[in-house]
Amino acid sequence: MSRLALILTLMVALVVTACAQPAPTSQAPAPAAPTTAPAPKQEPPKAAPTEAPKPAPTTDAAKAAPPAAAPAAADTIVIALESDPPRLDPHLSSAAVDRQVFQSLFDTLVDLDENLNIVPELAEKWTVSPDGLVYTFNLRKGVKFHDGTDFDAQAVKVNFDRMMDEKTASARRAEISSVDKVEVVDPQTVKISLKKPFSPFLSVLTDRAGMMLSPKALAADAANFQNKPVGTGPFKFVEKVKDDHVTVERFDEYWGGAAPTKRIIYRTFVDGNVRVVNMKSGQIDMSNLTPAKDIPSFQSDAKWKVSLKPSLGWQGIWLNVTKPPFDKKENRQALAAALDRAAITKVVFSDLSAVPGWSPFPPGTPAYDETKKMPARDLAKAKDLLSKAGNPTGFSFTFKIGQDAVAQQLGQIVQSMAGEAGIQVKLEQVEFGALLDQLGKKNFEAAQIGWSGRPDPDGNVTNHFITNGPNNYAGYSNADVDKWLEDARTAQDTAARKAIYKKIDDQLAEDQPFIFLWWPVNDKVYVSNLQGYVHVPDGMMRTQKLVKK
Amino acid sequence: MGAFLVRRLLLTIPIVFIVSVVVFSLLHFLPGDPAVLILGQEATPQALAALRARLGLDQPLLVQYLRWLGNLLRGDLGRSLITNQPVLEVILSKMPPTLELAIGAFLVSVLISVPAGIVSATRRGRLPDYLATTFAFAGLSIPHFWLGIMLLLLFAVQLKWLPASGYVPLWENPTQNLKVMILPMIATGMRESAIVTRQLRSSLLEVLGQDYIRTALAKGLREQVVLVGHALKNAMIPVLTVSGLQIAGLLSGLVITEQVFSIPGFGRLLVDSIFNRDFTMVQGGVLVAALMVVTVNILVDILYAFLDPRIKLVTSEAV
Repeated sequence: MSRLALILTLMVALVVTACAQPAPTSQAPAPAAPTTAPAPKQEPPKAAPTEAPKPAPTTDAAKAAPPAAAPAAADTIVIALESDPPRLDPHLSSAAVDRQVFQSLFDTLVDLDENLNIVPELAEKWTVSPDGLVYTFNLRKGVKFHDGTDFDAQAVKVNFDRMMDEKTASARRAEISSVDKVEVVDPQTVKISLKKPFSPFLSVLTDRAGMMLSPKALAADAANFQNKPVGTGPFKFVEKVKDDHVTVERFDEYWGGAAPTKRIIYRTFVDGNVRVVNMKSGQIDMSNLTPAKDIPSFQSDAKWKVSLKPSLGWQGIWLNVTKPPFDKKENRQALAAALDRAAITKVVFSDLSAVPGWSPFPPGTPAYDETKKMPARDLAKAKDLLSKAGNPTGFSFTFKIGQDAVAQQLGQIVQSMAGEAGIQVKLEQVEFGALLDQLGKKNFEAAQIGWSGRPDPDGNVTNHFITNGPNNYAGYSNADVDKWLEDARTAQDTAARKAIYKKIDDQLAEDQPFIFLWWPVNDKVYVSNLQGYVHVPDGMMRTQKLVKK
Repeated sequence: MGAFLVRRLLLTIPIVFIVSVVVFSLLHFLPGDPAVLILGQEATPQALAALRARLGLDQPLLVQYLRWLGNLLRGDLGRSLITNQPVLEVILSKMPPTLELAIGAFLVSVLISVPAGIVSATRRGRLPDYLATTFAFAGLSIPHFWLGIMLLLLFAVQLKWLPASGYVPLWENPTQNLKVMILPMIATGMRESAIVTRQLRSSLLEVLGQDYIRTALAKGLREQVVLVGHALKNAMIPVLTVSGLQIAGLLSGLVITEQVFSIPGFGRLLVDSIFNRDFTMVQGGVLVAALMVVTVNILVDILYAFLDPRIKLVTSEAV
């Protein structure tokens, strides 16, 4: 009886909190100390007091958070991931989330800075032969892998050989297919020869293909490298518990100086709401992919900092040009004209996690065309195009979308906008793996799937729009575009390349194999006492300088 | 009893066999190619074909199945297609949180549902009955997910009594473990208790209307004695059936609960493996889940015989 009463009380309490919750006015209840610690001057805070009772995995953060006016740097920084990183081997990884953990474990030959310039990392400098065929890298001295072995030119060769070997089944093989051979000149110099000029080569090396794995660890057990990865990064691998966390610990012999933070724990929170609850309860120091609806509540809270930056990717709708109704260009153009990009980003993304987009080259990337304006919604034009296509009363098609809330909202808004032009949209929700499969087999009429983007423009168009390209889901084929894509790949001059990409951009806007609708905005939300974070547009959380005061 | 057990155990073999065939075929009819998920979207068709050949995915389905079955008979569930870890090892490492959650949720459910069911049946049509049935109705209707998030918002964000996540194994840090596990146990237990409360109420009402109860009361026995000694025991059989099904369900993973409370359990392993098209992991996982369901069913059958001596375990009809 009394138990019953207790339960009922609990239920009432729940309903009350439920009603109170949606107000985004985040009046954080207890945390009396917002600690706007005036940035202490001592930049390299050598080893925080090592009094952690034992390497207990996690989550005393909650206890420490409210009262501690932490004078020194915190031992541990907790970073939230949006899914479990499946494979911690840069050569095998095919999930974007893996890359976040790699930022701690591995270094790349070259890196990107905030403005997408290529900057030295493991390679101190490099030269490219005039014909664009030979890249010679001078490697940094004194770099050690976590297992104590030296990083040298031979290690670079071992890494490339492994990626290029078909038996490795490396997801990198396609990215570096232009590489012919890798030669060791001397321990600090390595020469990479290409089969034909490939301008995006350096930018490819800023991602997983440029990450260097320990040859010793690979030789010991290559198949299980992913379960015990060894790199040169600022943190070394400690443990991974699937679906829960990955722990990495400071590598004291890091060539760039030991990191100020002792330990980083990456924790997986698949659901956006759950991630937000964990952030607000003090379990997480840093996160990305925060649901747009929750971003304002962090922006208005002094305990959090929000950094929003355009990403490198694009999003929109693939149209299958190999079968009706989208084999007719006018039908594709009509659908594009019926859609209101500004309304979509406002309704679906609260104008926070996306901006209207209309090209494969988002703002801030080298091929972005600042002269172009957003195509306005034009229902009259859409109806006109439908008449030209021979179906003045419109047509109907099935629109395949993902299963998350954003995809649903997007599907519905496209459905209603297209409906006003007489185009009937049937929505079909498909699980991601199945959707990829159906796209690959051209088993769709229209589908929503985008691209995370690459720093070099080539990575944003070639595989997607060249005839028979691996990501050319539309089945699009245009001889001019094919030639231009090839030209831009081989041209060495930046201005010349930009001019070619403009032609490609214009042609894609005319042909509409893909309706570009929005450019995703990359969000990072982190506790305000976290310092040292630089938001690079590739969205990676580089951890070496992170420190929580 | 011994003969019964042996026979039931033998019966599990065809059941598990059928389950394995069904899972195997379903998995391979599922759209989505593990090779694409491994090599990435940019892979060439040649590379995809080579990988399929290496994984044995290009063989006829029957050959693939027989190979898997052969390994299974040697106690080898294979290695994960994605991480190369032994399937059995990974599954076993995911069982402790799931077992703990299942047991805890079941205890919560019993603690709530038995008193609630009895009160509501014996005070039928009065306030306690209305409260209990309202509770049961709410428990069934409130989505799991929402209840979980609400519990977190109340106890982790507002009151800050409990952490929102941070599972550690029970043997490593019991306090921290219980702090993390108590909310999911309550969230799951409340839902389960709603089902059992309803079942107990209706079967108790049925038993209380029987002649032998009236006789017992007419003999002058005290109401409590009749309730506990005569009625409850007989009312328990359908309740047991329902509970058995529930435990079996809990053991095969509570995907949503595990996701909301960030518990790395068996349910999430299965779902994650399906999304990654980690065929060997899914096959092994479903097989283990099927074995657990069968085991729970056997236990329930044995308990029947304790509750009602008329049920004989030795006769073939009892199965």
